[in-house]
Amino acid sequence: MKKITEKIYLDYAATTPVDPRVFRAMLPYFTEKFGNTMSLHSFGQEAKQALEESREVVANLIRAKPNEIIFTSSATESNNLALKGIALANRERGRHIIISPIEHPCVMESAKWLETQGFKITRLSVDKYGFMNPEDVRKAIKKETILVSIIHASNEIGTIQPIAEIGKICKEKGVYFHTDAAQSFGKIPIDVNKMNIDLLTASSHKMYGPKGVAILFVREGIKIAPLIHGGGHEGGLRSSTVNVPAIAGFAEACRICQKEMKKEAQRQIKLRDKLIKGVLEKIPDSYLNGHPQKRLPNNANFWFKFIEGESMVIQLDLLGIAASTGSACSSAKLEPSHVLLAIGLKPQEAHGSLRLSLGRWTKESDINYILKVLPEIIKKLRKISPFKS
Amino acid sequence: MNKGGIYTKKVIKYFKKPHNFGRMKNPDGVGKVGNPVCLLSKQNIHTNNDLKEINEIFKKDRVLSYNGRYNNVNRVVMRDYNGEILIIKNKLGTVSLTPDHLILAIKIPKGDKFLRTKNKKQLIPAWYHAKDLKKGDIVLYPILKEKNSLSYIAINIPKLKWDFKSKKIPNKIPINSDLLRLFGYFLAEGYIQDRPCRTFISITLNISETTIVKDIKGISKNLFGLDPLIKEVPKRKTVIINLYSAKLARWFKQLFGAGADKKIIPNFVMNLPSEKQKALIYGLWKGDGYINLARNGSRAGYVTISPKLAQQIKTLLLRQKIVPSIYIDKKRKVKGVSHKESYRIHVGQRDSLIKLCSILGVKYIPRSYPSVDSWLDEKFCYTPITQIKKSNYKGKVFNLEVSNGRSFISEAFCLHNCGDVMWLYIKVGKDRKGREIIKDIKFETFGCVAAIATSSVITDLAKGKTLRKALKIDRNQIVKSLGGLPPIKIHCSVLAAGALSEAIYDYLSKNKKEISKELEEIHRRIEKEKKEIKERYKEWIKIEEEMHKK
Repeated sequence: MKKITEKIYLDYAATTPVDPRVFRAMLPYFTEKFGNTMSLHSFGQEAKQALEESREVVANLIRAKPNEIIFTSSATESNNLALKGIALANRERGRHIIISPIEHPCVMESAKWLETQGFKITRLSVDKYGFMNPEDVRKAIKKETILVSIIHASNEIGTIQPIAEIGKICKEKGVYFHTDAAQSFGKIPIDVNKMNIDLLTASSHKMYGPKGVAILFVREGIKIAPLIHGGGHEGGLRSSTVNVPAIAGFAEACRICQKEMKKEAQRQIKLRDKLIKGVLEKIPDSYLNGHPQKRLPNNANFWFKFIEGESMVIQLDLLGIAASTGSACSSAKLEPSHVLLAIGLKPQEAHGSLRLSLGRWTKESDINYILKVLPEIIKKLRKISPFKS
Repeated sequence: MNKGGIYTKKVIKYFKKPHNFGRMKNPDGVGKVGNPVCLLSKQNIHTNNDLKEINEIFKKDRVLSYNGRYNNVNRVVMRDYNGEILIIKNKLGTVSLTPDHLILAIKIPKGDKFLRTKNKKQLIPAWYHAKDLKKGDIVLYPILKEKNSLSYIAINIPKLKWDFKSKKIPNKIPINSDLLRLFGYFLAEGYIQDRPCRTFISITLNISETTIVKDIKGISKNLFGLDPLIKEVPKRKTVIINLYSAKLARWFKQLFGAGADKKIIPNFVMNLPSEKQKALIYGLWKGDGYINLARNGSRAGYVTISPKLAQQIKTLLLRQKIVPSIYIDKKRKVKGVSHKESYRIHVGQRDSLIKLCSILGVKYIPRSYPSVDSWLDEKFCYTPITQIKKSNYKGKVFNLEVSNGRSFISEAFCLHNCGDVMWLYIKVGKDRKGREIIKDIKFETFGCVAAIATSSVITDLAKGKTLRKALKIDRNQIVKSLGGLPPIKIHCSVLAAGALSEAIYDYLSKNKKEISKELEEIHRRIEKEKKEIKERYKEWIKIEEEMHKK
């Protein structure tokens, strides 16, 4: 195996580099337009204007109104705010919440915490591709249900849920509908009105913006309780001095995505399909996780028989390729990924999973390179493994 | 540069170019260990932490876990047990448990080298079955990490109907060293009188303790705006301080419990930063503690009849890096006065005593330099086992199921398996002296980087060694040869050592040769774990299936 000098990043689902255009757009807000948005003087007002302009740009990407956007520090915070905020503000109406089994841990854990506070949580199931059945949601909605929270596209297996149908059901039943779109935002079109979404989480660092900023879209007129109290920023729903440079960067990232989304998605789908086809053809006993087509343009997730994911990831890293796995060995909890278990993989199969996620700077030559080295790595690890056919 | 991130260069080296891997044809012995299944959060393990007390732990209670935080108890499982139990004693207390219970500990190897604490400190802790431990081995006790720095506390006691007399006190008071000192005095010497129209706090002190009386007076004035009533009773050599406020008294009762034997420190105080807690310790000790620096073995102590309070003071002291010992004084009669069963918290170790004295503001210049047998780091207190007793037990034992699978107890199990499988093959030959040696050795491993590196390194270590020497290769040696392993991966080295002894066991039993007692024991333990994992796995699959049906 020859070592290459240039590294290949195939972990865009974990985080993305900041686009140089975004970086340039942020710069003035560090040293020149540094004001506090709450100040009355011109410095403050300049920052305030940048904030409101950014809000408009971000809102526009999901066809929302600017005043429906709350800036937060991370998707984790947004999801916490969505679940806890809705639950605490609407507990008089009912104490039942529905989630999917393949949510991001921040949703799962928030729900778990709410359980300790006297809320009932229903965790629906998914099929082998990771799809929810909208009819399951309809059946699960009770009189006391206040919120349905379903991830838009899975961060691990990339499956895109039938959000529009679920949204329609929730609207009929009069239940709030939240979706965690951290992975899909900026990659596939979202229209909160057409899809009947009431709350939506999106993050900047998954779409070439800076880290430390995210949004929660909350439809006008929805009652929600803040988690962070203070000076009344963001309409009183998220106090703390506004991170203007990051928000300006986020807005620029949204502008770029809006312009390039369609073309970029087509390009990535081509590369992704080439990668999937190549891996499944070249490597015996390899399987794709998630649906072959109805998945994020940039996500490919496999599992390989007889080997373990952490070994694979470190081997790839030694060759300059960054990837990720759902294996228990690599997680702090020593537990295999709950998403892979939910789609019916056995623990030992989840151990052998590998996620490759493409991005703006993934070239065809990168795909060719990985298709060259991955079969060799797997062959080597299988040689060591006691399980072989 | 360390390319593997969490791994050392040596681990990566062994991982990149593993030695001696592959299947061996016609091996003389095979050792197969591990299981490709990860069984964590959803299991209940032998956690009969204390046969009596777990009885009282109910669902939703919280237990201190190995990571120094409190975790919720999700389920308490009871089973019948008839057989031997072990009663393990150390400075911090006594626990009764079944012999196969896992404990985080350090086993002290034989040899003079390990008489010195300095050398003991270099050993790496791991999970051991209770029956494998001896007197002198070091057990680890987690130090409470939860920190929650409140600066104010609300007094949420409604005004009582009949209460017209009490002066108004603030609804919110700052949590400062004044308040904590008062808490300390109250825990030590106070009680609550709770009858309609006669509800107040009363603290009884020795008549000579004028500084404390003055202190309480000042605190009460500052925090609550109350002037306490001070009554001297020269006949009994006591002074009584009464704080007349029904609201305050009810609040104290809510916080600290009623009755001297049920006194507790409330959670929010336990979770305060350790710096703040110093004031509480000061109050406790000034109120009821003793300190004797004049005698040869200088010491300090605190006696309470509340078992919970004793445990809590232990936790408080550990957070101050003070190692206490707890003794139980049985119920007895002294000069016609009956004393209830009491718990004596003793601080005698030099370093601990220095720290305690600095909290209490007492000057202490140690005269001698006694040996140190216990030590602390950021996460754990390390103390030796002072006694192990065996006893027969028939009755119920309890298992705890703790959330996140991160319990002090249940982590034990997962540390034994994160889904790695190792197969080790050996070929046995003879050396010039006619002793049996490992002529050739090969491995096959399914697992992470650490698993592959440890398998590879054990083949290097064992090759050419006599069987007897090969059996002596242990976890410490493996970890050392790799220049260290991340703590979460230590179990891989345990697995590797297990695989080698299993392979040798296989060879010896196939050839009907003599098997030492220790080896037999190890084999039995591994077999048992295998069986348990298989059983649990079945159960686990069932749970999964049920979940999918829903």
